[in-house]
Amino acid sequence: MTEKDVTMTVNGTERELSVEPRRLLVHAIREDLNLTGTHIGCDTGNCGACTVYKDGQAVKSCLQFAVQADGSEITTVEGMEELPEAGMGDSDLHPIQEGFKQMHGLQCGFCTPGMIMASKALLEANDDPTDEEIRVDISGNLCRCTGYQNIVKSVQYASDVLNDREPPDSPVEHEDASLETAADGGETATDGGCNCNDTDLTMDYPTGGENR
Amino acid sequence: MKAAHFEHHEPSTVDEAVTLLADLDDPTILAGGQSLVPTMRFRLSQPDDVVDINGIDSLDYLEEDGDHLRLGALVRHADVEESALVDENYGSFADAAPLIGDPQIRNQGTVVGSVTQADPKGDWGSVLLAHDGEVVARGPDGERTIPADELFLFPYETDLQPGELVTELRVPVSDANEGSSYHKLKRKVGDYAMAAVAARIALDGETITDAGVALTGVDITNIPVPDATDHLVGEVPSGELFKRAGELAAEASNPEGDEHGSAAYKENMVRVLTQRALADAVERARGEGPAGSYGTDQLTVGD
Repeated sequence: MTEKDVTMTVNGTERELSVEPRRLLVHAIREDLNLTGTHIGCDTGNCGACTVYKDGQAVKSCLQFAVQADGSEITTVEGMEELPEAGMGDSDLHPIQEGFKQMHGLQCGFCTPGMIMASKALLEANDDPTDEEIRVDISGNLCRCTGYQNIVKSVQYASDVLNDREPPDSPVEHEDASLETAADGGETATDGGCNCNDTDLTMDYPTGGENR
Repeated sequence: MKAAHFEHHEPSTVDEAVTLLADLDDPTILAGGQSLVPTMRFRLSQPDDVVDINGIDSLDYLEEDGDHLRLGALVRHADVEESALVDENYGSFADAAPLIGDPQIRNQGTVVGSVTQADPKGDWGSVLLAHDGEVVARGPDGERTIPADELFLFPYETDLQPGELVTELRVPVSDANEGSSYHKLKRKVGDYAMAAVAARIALDGETITDAGVALTGVDITNIPVPDATDHLVGEVPSGELFKRAGELAAEASNPEGDEHGSAAYKENMVRVLTQRALADAVERARGEGPAGSYGTDQLTVGD
């Protein structure tokens, strides 16, 4: 079968590719352009890990062929730091990326590129969304770790930065964090700094019988 | 898994597309692709030729002319969701759009593609039926219109003939005295309907002059419920009237029990959803202002 020439602008750079029509956009992005930040999770269009920002919209790059992206403008997670909003917060990152870092919006991180691109589409259309609007907008992206609470907080953090509001302090301890806080939602640690459980690590635990 | 090899054709006009469809051997039409692409990847479909209509700009319109609300073949679910025209007086369209798939899917998937796919769990088929709508198809022998109640034959099978391209879906204009709604029961955000009901009511004063009820996911295709329509027309809206219409809809349904619910449960849900949908439709027919500001918000998620 004949290959087709495709031109697309990815993260601001025009790229030319020759692809089989059956090649999915996500495979072209990952394998031809070596931008492996865009993930393949479910292979069925359910999980949203492959979400990219294409011509002003969030789309699942595993649900279209690369030939359909001819002439389009695409942003992947690798391009977030190059966008004009990057650096508006306390780091060089895009406010959404910074939000995910500061608010602990990820654990394993597999869904994060898709979450970030879906959030970008949301904040482009509405830079001050409610929690509910965020939840509706990331409903096409599955996360198996966080339970979504901190992802919603991460997007709110980005919204704060974009609207010149002071974002909340990170609930997690970072090297650069001046406030020591507990990882359970931003409560300041109690006296002594240890907010962990009552296990006494100095205690002698029984080691079992001799026959063990 | 990768799709099988195929040739990708990109017509830029309807004429070009129709010519291609006539000349090629058993081609497949690609619009939004949100169902077709995975189907091809799993090789449940292995077309040699794919006619991609996304470049036919003339098919991208959502507008009212004197007689109809018209949706071109490239109107995406998200276009319906964001349309002020739809929000004003087409409550069923406004209800159904945001309940389909997820935001990414709605940005790509098309209304016409969904209807022509004829999935019995597809939402648009019921909306089309409740509005007594029709689709416009172009083929080698010219153009014809197919009324909604003649379109759906079997699951994934319609009255469309090989070589035909649906260019438009349309429903009669809904005026200020008409209201409609769509109520969908699903297990989770983005899921297909376990059962869903589209309802439409037109009033003259307090008398129902026209009505439509159609069901999703409870038969081998989307089905209209003419018995409910007959029961409603000429009457004054009341709880008793809608209760009976709900019973008639439940009787007309033919659901299969599955892991999500028994047939009896789904039938009962058809009864309940029909009453709710009719109540919303009447409220919207009576009310002033955008249809979207009346009726139940089914979008609530999280806490």
